[in-house]
Amino acid sequence: MKSKISALMDGELDQRDASNIIEAIRKDDDLQGEWETYHLIGDTLRQSSKLAMNISSDVSQKLKAEPTVLSPNISNLEKKLKRKIYAFSVAASVIAMVSAWLVMQNLHDPQQIIMAEQPNHNLTIAPIPVSSPSAIHYYPHPPIEINDYLFVHREFSPGVTMRGQVTNVNSVTEYHERYGR
Amino acid sequence: MISRRIFALCLLLAFGFSAAFAQELPRSSESALNWLKRMADAPRRHNYSGTFVYYADGHIETSRIVHKVDSISERERIEVLDGSPRIVFRNNDEMKCYLPDSKRIYTEKRWFRKFFPDILPQPFDNVIDENYYVKEDRLERVTDHQCQVLSLTPRDSLRHGHQFWVDVETGLLLKAAVINGSEIIEQFAFAQLEIDGEIHSASLKPNQSMVQEEWKVTDLITSFLKAGELKWQIMSLPVGFKKLVEMKRNLAEKPTLVDHIALSDGLATVSVFIEPITQDAPASLPGFFTSRGAINIYVRILSGYKITTVGEVPLETIKLIGDSVIKKD
Repeated sequence: MKSKISALMDGELDQRDASNIIEAIRKDDDLQGEWETYHLIGDTLRQSSKLAMNISSDVSQKLKAEPTVLSPNISNLEKKLKRKIYAFSVAASVIAMVSAWLVMQNLHDPQQIIMAEQPNHNLTIAPIPVSSPSAIHYYPHPPIEINDYLFVHREFSPGVTMRGQVTNVNSVTEYHERYGR
Repeated sequence: MISRRIFALCLLLAFGFSAAFAQELPRSSESALNWLKRMADAPRRHNYSGTFVYYADGHIETSRIVHKVDSISERERIEVLDGSPRIVFRNNDEMKCYLPDSKRIYTEKRWFRKFFPDILPQPFDNVIDENYYVKEDRLERVTDHQCQVLSLTPRDSLRHGHQFWVDVETGLLLKAAVINGSEIIEQFAFAQLEIDGEIHSASLKPNQSMVQEEWKVTDLITSFLKAGELKWQIMSLPVGFKKLVEMKRNLAEKPTLVDHIALSDGLATVSVFIEPITQDAPASLPGFFTSRGAINIYVRILSGYKITTVGEVPLETIKLIGDSVIKKD
């Protein structure tokens, strides 16, 4: 049982074992003593400045000894004032919730992907890596075939493929030179 | 009670904010959609010739366009005037791309892509309203024509926004912008334009120097496939995207054919290319890339194949599509 208490403290037990052992500790005074001792040992080993001591009985005794304060009735005016303050605080919290939600919305707005800056010297189409939503490797030099793909995707349309075409033709030649086909 | 009133006010505020920020946009108005319909039909009704510019990432490119339409055919010539020359001829669905520098001609038998100023699908239907909220904006003058500005706000974060400047008189698109949030990422605009002027058929044919034998012709398409014939499948298409076509491509004389699946949401197009990784081919590097303007690219490796997804959509959408490609058993 002692080893199980130790395992519980280290968070090594699964959900079911953990609830069983907690139940056992709750019912058994000796095990509660063990539990406290283990914590004390742990704190000492960690040289914690606050040692785990059972102060619950002391605290409840102090509470019992506290005198009960009987306060006078609050006037109607004060009540109204309190209600107003309550209303305003509700309003403030709702506004705070809405603004927090809006901020979250903006944070999660997927349209705000920041693209990597295109270097100035790179005046041709050569695609460049961008920030990605997943942990995938980045390569400074994109595969040559991407230019072919761009060319076909845009079907010679003006704009992007105009440049794509230029690199495409070069890369085709390069491909032939490199692979002898 | 003050508190109740304040509480009600707060609720109202909260709902107001959520409606505005969650972009729960209303249906597009009939008249706004009619503008788009006019815009889609205009290239089938009018001849035009002019010069337009493409602008993205601080880069400008100029092209000359001649467009002629009659009862039997639609022909077009687009010539790039900056950098390396390139001339594209289109005759209905067939197109040829001439590259004088390298003496090459690329041909395509079926035309499924659209480009400026003819960018809307044909026949046009109101499906676009499912993905974009179309709104009539202000009136503005472009190349001496009074234009109706239309703004297309995406209904989700899977696509970019658009703005169209449509000629009030003819319905032709004279200027177009792709918008990410509040930022314009690419633009096309006419700098000079003549609508319904006379167009000589000679201006729509390649000149003599281009029809000599030493030019090398490459047919980019090898075969169109029926739906499901490809051994690849896109498991879950993002909302609003539909498959346009599946085909096998002869990509710039690669040793193997490349499988190509094209998708569209009515405005944005996404292509998925799948090819086997061969030992002598350049190393395949997975990752994300961007190109000029709205283009994003995602390369992924799957059981000996390389899957490249390319499109004018946000990176999330590209990744979503690329990741849902699976091999059929």
